[in-house]
Order: sequence, then structure tokens, then C-alpha cells
Amino acid sequence: MFKDLDPILHSQLRLAIMSLLISVKEADFTFIREKTTATAGNLSVQIQKLKEAGYIDVTKQFKDNYPLTICRITKQGIKAFEEYVGNLQYYLGKRKE
Amino acid sequence: MTPSEKHLTEKESLDLIAMMINKAKNSYHDTGIGAMMWGSIIAVCSLVKIAELQFDFKLPFDIYWLTILAIVPQIFITIREKKERKVKTYDDIYMDYLWLGFGISIFLMIFITNALFNVWEPMAIEYNQLAGHSSPYDLREFIAPLFLLLYGIPTFVTGAACKFKPMLWGGLLCWTCCIITIFTTIKIDLLLTAFSAVFAWLIPGIIMEKEYRKAKKGLATANV
Repeated sequence: MFKDLDPILHSQLRLAIMSLLISVKEADFTFIREKTTATAGNLSVQIQKLKEAGYIDVTKQFKDNYPLTICRITKQGIKAFEEYVGNLQYYLGKRKE
Repeated sequence: MTPSEKHLTEKESLDLIAMMINKAKNSYHDTGIGAMMWGSIIAVCSLVKIAELQFDFKLPFDIYWLTILAIVPQIFITIREKKERKVKTYDDIYMDYLWLGFGISIFLMIFITNALFNVWEPMAIEYNQLAGHSSPYDLREFIAPLFLLLYGIPTFVTGAACKFKPMLWGGLLCWTCCIITIFTTIKIDLLLTAFSAVFAWLIPGIIMEKEYRKAKKGLATANV
């Protein structure tokens, strides 16, 4: 049975972050900011929400005395993303019928 | 990007996913420094070896030792590039393993050819003594094709995987030269090796470096 679309993923910026992370092994904060063109503050909030949902892992390091935030998708995140895409395709198919 | 909580239709969501996946795919740009360095070194080594044969002189050391020395700057280049990389894609990992495998294969090939020479040389000397003339079969004539065969593999795969045509053609050129060198003399073999190194690594490396600078400049402008 198909469920409602996952509210964590059904948001523009969070979906953009997850779509980026599903395609790569890991990415740092600046890369995600460059690709999504989001503001640092907004991006931090959305990354935190995804982390709390268990969809991404966030590692904080230091590089040349600057903080470095590395994000990578978790198994739970991959499962949720695949389910979300499956549901989207189902709803789009239904609409065409 | 518009506010994160903006409501998306199903179609918009799928479009956004496709767009971001494409953005991630196009994010990696090699600096090309490694390719330029190895292209130059192999070309210089081969050309110096030709000069040694042509003008009948010998350097106090084997010029191919340069390739071993070049591993040191290569390690520094790799570490620096990894540090500068803002994203690690699955392709990067496969490429790292591919080139590591290539390095191990080259090392093993040097080991194997040296072992072959150790067996062949006494036989060639004995033949010379018994027949009164040198053997028409020279093992050294068959070394270049083996190395060119190996050069072609990671070059072709990298070119195909990264959709970088200069390297793809460079890989094919290595294999073409590999076939030709079976029928040519040592000097021509070395010349074709230098030619392959220039066209498979040095020139693609220069193109990569230009593209890397362009991408970096583009990103800097986008961030202003």
C-alpha cells in the first residue's frame, strides 16, 4: 500500500539536499550550499532536521582552522528516499489514469 | 532557492530530484596535474632513451628511475586534491582503485620483464658464441607493446567513465601504438611510447587543468 508523501522529504530544500546526497558518497556543507543556492542559515536548519530524522549523518571536522561539515546519506535515508520516489511515481501514474 | 517549506507538486518534486542528481554528477573536475606530470615524465624518459641509443652514450643512471621518483610528488598532489575536494562521488572511488590497480600492474610488469631479461640475456650471449652472430630475436623489442597495452586500460576507462573524449581517444591511441610497436624497432617503439604519453596524458591533462580553472572561476563568480 502507498502511504502519504514523507513530510520530511516533501520540502524543496530538504529534497534537494537528499537528491544531492543520494548521488555522492559524501559532500561538505559548502558544496551543498553551492548546488542548492540556499542561505547558510536555512541550510543548517534543514540539515539538522534531516539528521534528527536519521536520514543523514553529519560529521564536523576542522580543516586549516575552519569548521568542515561533512554530510552523507544513511541506509534509513536511502530507504525513505526510494519510498518517496516510488510514491511520487505512483501518484503521477494515478493522475494520468 | 525559495523557502524550504514551499509546497511541491509531484511533478515538481521529480524534476527537482533529476536536476539535483545532474548537478551532483557534473560536480567533479580533475585538476589534470597528475596526468600532465606523468605524460611529461614518460615522454622525457622515452626520448632520453632514444637519444642514448641514437648517439651512443649512456647516462650514469637509468632514466626510468625518474618514474619511481615521480611517485613522491604524485602522493602530495593526490593528498592536496583530496583535501580540496568538496564532494566524494562513487566514480572518484572507482577511479582511485583503477589507477591504483594500474600502478600495481606497472610495478609487476617491470618485475616480470626484469625476470625475463635475466633468463634471456645468458641465452642470447650463448647463442652469439655458438652461432657467431647475434640472435635475430631481441626480447627488448616486445617490451613497449606490453607497457602500451597497460597504459591504454586506465586511460580508456577514465575517458569513457568521465565522458572525457581526449582521454578516451588517448586510450585507443595507446592500443593502436601497442599493435604497431610489435612490428617496429626499439627506437620507433620508444618514439611511439613518447607520442602516446603526450597524447594520452599530457594533452588531456592540459585540457583538464583549463576546465578545472574555468569551473573554479565559475563557482567563485556564482558565490559573489
